[in-house]
Amino acid sequence: MPTPTLAALTEEQQLIVSEVRRFVEKEVLPIATELEHRDEYPAALIDQMKGLGMMGITIPPEYGGLGLPFTTYSAIVEELSRGWMSLGGVINTHAMVSWMINSFGTEEQKRCWLPAMATGEKRAGLCMTEPNAGSDLQAIQMTAVRDGDDYVLNGTKMFVSNGVQGKLFAVLTKTDPRAQPPYSGMTTFIVDKDETPGMTVGRLIEKLGYKGIDTTELFFEDARVPAGNVVGGEEGQGWYHIMATIEIGRINVASRAVGVATAALEDSVRYSKQRRTFGRPIADHQAIQLMLADMATKIEAARLLTRAAAARKDAGERADLWVGMAKLFATEVAQEVSLMALRIHGGYGYTKEMRVERYYRDAPFMLIGEGTNEIQKLVIARNILKMFGE
Amino acid sequence: MPHIICCVKQVPDPETPASQFRVDEAAKKVVPVPGIAPVPSQFDTIGVEAALRIKDKTPDTTITILSLGPESYRDSIKHSLAMGADEGVLINDPALYEADHWVTAQVLAAAIGKLAPFDLVICGRQAVDWDMGVVGSTIAEILNVPCITIAKEIQYKDGQVVVERVLLDGFETAESPAPCVVTVSNELGEPRYPQLRQIMAAARKEVKVWTASDLGLDAAQLKNLVSLERLYVPEVKVETEIIDGETPQEKAEKLALKLREAKLI
Ligand SMILES: Cc1cc2nc3c(=O)[nH]c(=O)nc-3n(C[C@H](O)[C@H](O)[C@H](O)COP(=O)(O)OP(=O)(O)OC[C@H]3O[C@@H](n4cnc5c(N)ncnc54)[C@H](O)[C@@H]3O)c2cc1C
Ligand SMILES: Cc1cc2nc3c(=O)[nH]c(=O)nc-3n(C[C@H](O)[C@H](O)[C@H](O)COP(=O)(O)OP(=O)(O)OC[C@H]3O[C@@H](n4cnc5c(N)ncnc54)[C@H](O)[C@@H]3O)c2cc1C
Repeated sequence: MPTPTLAALTEEQQLIVSEVRRFVEKEVLPIATELEHRDEYPAALIDQMKGLGMMGITIPPEYGGLGLPFTTYSAIVEELSRGWMSLGGVINTHAMVSWMINSFGTEEQKRCWLPAMATGEKRAGLCMTEPNAGSDLQAIQMTAVRDGDDYVLNGTKMFVSNGVQGKLFAVLTKTDPRAQPPYSGMTTFIVDKDETPGMTVGRLIEKLGYKGIDTTELFFEDARVPAGNVVGGEEGQGWYHIMATIEIGRINVASRAVGVATAALEDSVRYSKQRRTFGRPIADHQAIQLMLADMATKIEAARLLTRAAAARKDAGERADLWVGMAKLFATEVAQEVSLMALRIHGGYGYTKEMRVERYYRDAPFMLIGEGTNEIQKLVIARNILKMFGE
Repeated sequence: MPHIICCVKQVPDPETPASQFRVDEAAKKVVPVPGIAPVPSQFDTIGVEAALRIKDKTPDTTITILSLGPESYRDSIKHSLAMGADEGVLINDPALYEADHWVTAQVLAAAIGKLAPFDLVICGRQAVDWDMGVVGSTIAEILNVPCITIAKEIQYKDGQVVVERVLLDGFETAESPAPCVVTVSNELGEPRYPQLRQIMAAARKEVKVWTASDLGLDAAQLKNLVSLERLYVPEVKVETEIIDGETPQEKAEKLALKLREAKLI
């Protein structure tokens, strides 16, 4: 039974949500915890997801995708993450890069990359972060220098999701490291790992949660990339591309947070009806009810904010204020709710026998990924201050 | 252009925890469990899968989903459409909500007649709620067409239906000219998951809704043959006996004797 919600769903969205939920119940939930504890890449599940069309959710039909809006994408990511947050993650940078190509790429670039991305034959990753620059992206050091028909890329990218399994990577570089302001010298390239000998995968990074998914370093040593791979064909646009694209990532992370929090609530409700202390189910104790009420209310607010922010992005506008709020709020809720769920499970919540310990380890990633929540607050504040003028 | 009609019933989710299963003995009804949505009967979904496998080989096949029940049954029809079926028909008539297998089969047979011509009707070997296992063969009887039960594979070619049947101790191949009725078993294999693209198409498809009178039937004339006398959850008693002994061998011997006494071995 889908989560009861105030969020209005079209008939298409309702059907999609209930079918994705069926898939998650039957295929994901029985194995997610075990794979997660082994930190094993869920190859079979990802193949199934490809087969179901999940790599092309938002790619336009003319390039082989489904052309679904971000509101639907958000609902799908939420359902997947209710089963296992990592599955909502695996399609994140893929969806971001495909959106970037579709929004800013030339017609030739769209035809070249989007069809193989829509089927999942080529999965994508996004390389912004570097060892010395995460929040402060304008401080990246990676350079791209024109050489004939190519550019030569040098530098190291850090925390690249899908780094091993991905084939196409959108790489943020500096084509003019001396440019002022620095963002005006930034350019994004699409780099095909298989066709770029100077691009190599570094170590797999071990994480607290968000397991099963490959997060790696990527090295670029005199990596030659054709000039035709500059997104949009024009230097100096990279920052603008990334800032618009990161909004998609924030919708994804907010949706994942709602999914994880929902799972934590559902597990807590079931457990509190079964577990008895002092002669009655713990659900009868007011202390537990107060937690359940907080959890349910915050999750619903997070869901509505996230869907509304996604709808704003669907309208084709910059939505950094709204997606920033959604990402900030939903991920803080996921963090709080997963801790409350752990408390409700008592001693068992602290063990690997219960799923809540997984939610509790998965939630903090979302405070950080796609821009830390401190950075979201700066974005929100900047927008609000601007809104009220001088 | 082969036409396959799949009968799909909606049932309470059989994976509902036993602890939550309740019946209302006075009303002689199963009480729906809040929070657990009903599902298409598994054998019926396997029937849809069987039809889709035929369509995979013969793409101009049309698959119609047929369901008798209230409005909520639309969910199971939509799921079948999302799997790849072409059309859906819901027979929704409050006068038929209490139909037994006999009335159900008559109504479905009348609807199949209205959907004719058809080559194949596929039903589950039984519905997983009441487990009667008679609707498929009763439809065949009423339509006066052959019936092959408990299939693990159905092939259809040039008006001929070839079915691999499941027996207690093996398999058997049966053949029939179309049209005929085939009931399917879980040995046929897992039903596919709907692709997002097909889910989107299914959302746009209209489900036709018919009543008894649309089928030329008078609901008042349709009388159940089976009446439900009592509905209850049987009490299960578990008694435990610990077999004692000095050594594992001794315990095993005593256990074996006990089991033989109980005629279990
Ligand atoms: C599992 C995982 C997967 C990731 N996947 C990707 C990926 O696929 N692609 C990619 O490019 N990146 C990825 N990242 C990187 C992620 O986007 C960064 O970690 C994040 O943006 C933070 O950057 P940082 O780690 O360098 O932290 P820092 O920027 O060093 O921040 C450290 C702390 O300082 C705070 N801070 C920084 N600046 C300010 C300020 N001006 N005001 C107030 N506080 C500030 C931050 O909020 C934080 O608390 C991933 C990260 C993780 C953990
Ligand atoms: C790593 C670990 C080590 C441990 N080591 C030991 C040990 O060495 N020896 C030992 O004896 N125990 C040990 N424990 C057990 C620990 O003390 C219990 O887990 C703890 O007391 C909670 O009990 P419980 O797990 O049964 O939770 P429950 O009592 O089932 O509580 C579940 C939830 O209900 C709430 N709750 C319960 N009753 C009420 C009420 N009346 N009103 C409001 N809320 C209520 C609780 O606060 C909690 O949120 C250990 C536990 C862990 C996780």
